[in-house]
Amino acid sequence: MTAQRRIDPLTWLILAFIAAPLLIVVPMSFSTAPSLEFPPPAWGFNYYRAFFSDSRWLQPLLNSFIIALGAAALTMLLVIPASFAMVRHRFHGRALTNLMLLLPLMAPHIVIALGYYSYFGSLHLTQTYAGVILAHTCLSVPMVFLTLSAALKGFDRNLERAGANLGASPLRVFRHVTFPVLRPAFVVAALFAFVQSFDETVVALFISGRDAATLPRKIFDAMRTEADPVVAVVSTLLLAAVIAGVIGSRLWQRRRKRVNALAFAMQ
Amino acid sequence: MGAISASAPAQAPIAASRWARRWLPWMLLAPVLVYLAVFYLVPLAIVIVSSVTDPSPSLSHYRDFFTDSFYLRVLSRTFATSLIVTICCLVLAYPLAYAMARREDTLVVAMLTVVALTFWTSFLVRTYAWMVILGNRGPVTALFRMVGWDPPPEILFTRFSSTLAMVHILLPFMVMALYSVMKKIDPALLRAAQNLGASPGRTFRHVYFPLSAPGVVNGCTMVFILCLGFYVTPVLLGSPREQMLAGLIGSQIEELLDFGEASAMAVVLLLVTLGLVALYNRFVGIDTLWG
Repeated sequence: MTAQRRIDPLTWLILAFIAAPLLIVVPMSFSTAPSLEFPPPAWGFNYYRAFFSDSRWLQPLLNSFIIALGAAALTMLLVIPASFAMVRHRFHGRALTNLMLLLPLMAPHIVIALGYYSYFGSLHLTQTYAGVILAHTCLSVPMVFLTLSAALKGFDRNLERAGANLGASPLRVFRHVTFPVLRPAFVVAALFAFVQSFDETVVALFISGRDAATLPRKIFDAMRTEADPVVAVVSTLLLAAVIAGVIGSRLWQRRRKRVNALAFAMQ
Repeated sequence: MGAISASAPAQAPIAASRWARRWLPWMLLAPVLVYLAVFYLVPLAIVIVSSVTDPSPSLSHYRDFFTDSFYLRVLSRTFATSLIVTICCLVLAYPLAYAMARREDTLVVAMLTVVALTFWTSFLVRTYAWMVILGNRGPVTALFRMVGWDPPPEILFTRFSSTLAMVHILLPFMVMALYSVMKKIDPALLRAAQNLGASPGRTFRHVYFPLSAPGVVNGCTMVFILCLGFYVTPVLLGSPREQMLAGLIGSQIEELLDFGEASAMAVVLLLVTLGLVALYNRFVGIDTLWG
């Protein structure tokens, strides 16, 4: 299996199909053309300047950060206790609860967006941060639940028993044993919730309005109404953030692996 | 359970833990369940109720939907497009996941990173990339002009462009679903088959493919469901005359302000999607879908 086979051209082609289309946004963002012209006729930072000096772009960016932070925090607060209950307890109604926690992942966003449009309209929550945060939290529950419960299933409870046997109270066991072991999973789950909210488009289109417009909403509007090349700048920035995030997490994983290996070697 | 106990106090912790065992999970679950009931089930119920009461109580929205040939065409187009996207994703993802699962070197890490990068990049960014590529001043049109096809065919804002972009956007889901299953296939089984005289083709057909089938079912279910309710890409890249169901729900609200009809369509979309999930649950088990 570990024999170094060469990668056949078909595999390369499929990989190129996955990766190459994304890269086109980078040169586009340095174009000076007023339309979606590729290859660009001339190069410059015009559209970066336009993006960073335009509150019609910066405000939605800020809104998205605030909403995603709020949604991630609220989701974690709700789902952490729930995932402990689901993994560590057997009780009547568990299967139904499981379905309930996964429902927002299965139902298409357009369906619930329609519901929010009417429901939050009557609660005066449309066009507010609170409304979008409340909605995005629901949509993040399933991914956070799946991530946390997968981590919890792999958690060795003997560690907690050892702590308790040594006289630690349940709260201390959680603080000094359970939480530190699960911290990476907590970070990943919170990141999932953040990204889910930051990228969510459909619900935001229906309820964020002008006052709480998120970045995806602004991008969507810009793509729909005019072929605004500033979208290329935003896309490049988002792509850069994803590249930094993915490579950062790979390095983090590798460091953790090394630390674990070291701890193992010292035993 | 100790029926005979030495002293009464010894029973106290057991009683407490029995009480706790019964109620603790519900105490832990109460916040999220109440939250989802208030902020998810209520709006969902509003959609379902509105579909039969807005503007007046009747089933007319459903009757309209299932008798009007325009709506039925949208429905069948949505299914057909989802099927095409699912098949294309499978055909592209299978060889890639297969090649990745059979390596254990730094190259496979790089390949996984590429897939992860696209997976994490916003749908909108990927849709925008296709808008540039297929646009009438983009590289594809330029290529058509170069080979003398002038004026070049309209590619953007057609069913083709939205389908292509959806294949690209949903491909990482399929690759990951297949890869996670293929990685666990024991290579010894393949060697055993070949040692027993099976040709590589036969080994694949009778050993490898059946073992990878759970990944295929997983990936196809996920991609098909995501595609059925896809809003952003078909609306931005597709033809306004060839809408899919989610896009039609959106324009029903935006342009016609017909909340009742939009709700009825949303209920149809919801039922179809949940029906597929239930089918999957019946035969495979829901917990493996996003495992």
